[in-house]
Amino acid sequence: MPSHGKILIVDDESSIRRALHNTLHGMGFDVDDASDGESALQFVREDKYDVVLLDINMPGIGGIRACREMRRSLPRLGILMLTVRDSEDDKVAALDAGADDYITKPFNIRELAARIRAAVRRSSASHVDPDAEIRIGNIELDPARRLVRKAGEPVHLTPKEFDMLRYLMTHAGLPITHARLLHAVWGPEYGGELEYLRTFVRQLRKKLEDDPAEPAYLLTDSHIGYRFAEAKSEPVEESA
Amino acid sequence: MHNEGEANHRKVVRSQLRILRGCLAGAAAVVVATFCAFRLNLNLSTSGSLYFLIVVMVAVVWGFWEASVTSLIAVNCLNYFFVPPVLTWRVSDPQNWVALATFEITALTVSRLSTRAQGQARAEARQRAELEKLYELSRRILFLDRRQTIGPQIVSLIQDIFRTESVALFDAAQARLDATGSRADDLDELARSAYIQDSTLKGAGAHTWALVLRLGSKPVGAIALRGRELGRLTIESIASLAAIALERARSFEKESRAEAAHQTEQLRTAVLDALAHAFKTPLTAIRTASSGLLEAGRLSTDDTELAALIDEQAEHLNRLTSELLQMARIDAAEVMLRRERVSVLTLIEDVLARYSEQLHGRRLEVSDSASGLEVHGDRKILLAALEQFIDNASRYSTPGSPISVTAEENLGEVIIAIHNEGPPIRPADRERIFERFYRAEDTRHRAPGTGLGLSIAKKAAEAHGGRTWVVSEDPTGTTFYFALPRGARRQADAVARQDSDR
Repeated sequence: MPSHGKILIVDDESSIRRALHNTLHGMGFDVDDASDGESALQFVREDKYDVVLLDINMPGIGGIRACREMRRSLPRLGILMLTVRDSEDDKVAALDAGADDYITKPFNIRELAARIRAAVRRSSASHVDPDAEIRIGNIELDPARRLVRKAGEPVHLTPKEFDMLRYLMTHAGLPITHARLLHAVWGPEYGGELEYLRTFVRQLRKKLEDDPAEPAYLLTDSHIGYRFAEAKSEPVEESA
Repeated sequence: MHNEGEANHRKVVRSQLRILRGCLAGAAAVVVATFCAFRLNLNLSTSGSLYFLIVVMVAVVWGFWEASVTSLIAVNCLNYFFVPPVLTWRVSDPQNWVALATFEITALTVSRLSTRAQGQARAEARQRAELEKLYELSRRILFLDRRQTIGPQIVSLIQDIFRTESVALFDAAQARLDATGSRADDLDELARSAYIQDSTLKGAGAHTWALVLRLGSKPVGAIALRGRELGRLTIESIASLAAIALERARSFEKESRAEAAHQTEQLRTAVLDALAHAFKTPLTAIRTASSGLLEAGRLSTDDTELAALIDEQAEHLNRLTSELLQMARIDAAEVMLRRERVSVLTLIEDVLARYSEQLHGRRLEVSDSASGLEVHGDRKILLAALEQFIDNASRYSTPGSPISVTAEENLGEVIIAIHNEGPPIRPADRERIFERFYRAEDTRHRAPGTGLGLSIAKKAAEAHGGRTWVVSEDPTGTTFYFALPRGARRQADAVARQDSDR
């Protein structure tokens, strides 16, 4: 069976390592595991991985510092944090430290596998042209001409709305923290103005979503930020 | 009053003895002076001065009566031994009377002055002693044992320092009376009535007083003292020291209770976090394995059924764990809410986003009236509460029916209403569904649940000074209300306008 990708599992609990190792191996991934942040750093230096599953709470240097170190040396490595619910601050810290995504324990393996496959795709994708047109579902965005179409019809967006949509669509499928979005769209001096974001997201939803109360594209990640639905998930049909 | 009579009698005897001693001493001094002067052949005026000196001394040391007796003897000695013709007694000599008058007047004046000076000195000494005692009282009040009841300690301290016969202290806040010493029974009553009448009272018997204890102008109790002459200022100072001691004890008690609550809360949070970790780890392993088995797709139908059962139940256990932890956290949050400004609309959107999977295919209606509303509260706890309502609505409503969430401000409260369609809740259950672990008879077998959800919501509302209730009728469905005291509101609209103007 051809490998779907190479994964490093990092968790201090051996029961979780065993369960994940066997399950993911059974699903066709190449799997290694490490029990702490220090040895995980050793693994990623010596071998090439597509995705690292990194537990946040570990003795020693911990998941967030390990994540920051990995991101510094390996910009294209997919990093998925394993967290527990009610630790939103940890999740934001992990995303700020460079993690691509997070998943909450205890998770369903199907959901985890989907996230892993998306991360593998991203880390193996070749460099994308920043001006290339992006098409997700029936939304098209043309960065060069600053145009947005929904099902072929042009949608009028204000400049800030366009910038925000472009940022979210170029990072489709990934959670974008409030602070990161504010930095990217309004500039580095912004960071705490959540009401701005909320207002803009509401307006974008009114313009892009079929049902703004139940968004299919512009999704909220509670406490964390927003994420644009992933390209392949065909959101329009799914929500019908 | 038998005791008092006897004491008075003893006092009279003592003062008589003292006068007798003074007279004898004066007489002895005159005799010695006469003997010396006669042997030395002193003349009349020198020996007269000598007698005069003796009278003055006796007046200073003892007093008028002693000096009078001394001067009588002295005049006679002067007459007999020194007035010519010497060694004769001449009653008719006018010198005799002049000398006697001079001596008497001098004795009177000197003894008066001396008594007054001595009186003043005594008063000063007493004041100094009382001041020292007050200082000692104030110092020792600082070292009272804070873990013991304060009242008995104060009374025995006052008794000990001021050597009073008895002391009684009435602590109004605790309605507590403490007394010490003999014959304290009526002091209790005296202290209590001083507090009730809010004025200083004089009790029966000598030196018996009751004073109101005040902090600022507020009466906090009363103290009654008996059995010792104390200056009015001293008594008042004792009263204020006692009042301060009571107040100190009370604020210390409050402080230590708050400190204890804080420590309990910290301990609880630490234990909960450890427990959460301890439970979530095996659950994660179980779910990974069970969902992994299902995903691998190599199982027979029966095996798949069993693996699905493990998966479901592991998820149920996970939910139960989360809710128990949440409940415990909200219990703890009554002590410490981490309040901040929370936008109601964001809150609703966050909850709906979290439940998007469970609500899949449902129509969700969020009212525009929620926009701009804010409450001042603990975001996590409010979120936990709203989740319970949404979860409840999705479980017990007609499958596929819409769920609507509205928010509005009414009479100083922000009221969030969660409405769903479906069979109504029986009237008997409407109050009880908010109780911990209570599940309505007819739902027990219909939908999975822990019976904790709504009690979490209720706790969360109460922790914020708010309330929850439910309205459930047959055709319309069920609406849960979650009301919180209002916070600041309306400032988000300005931002929206700013951008759309461009």
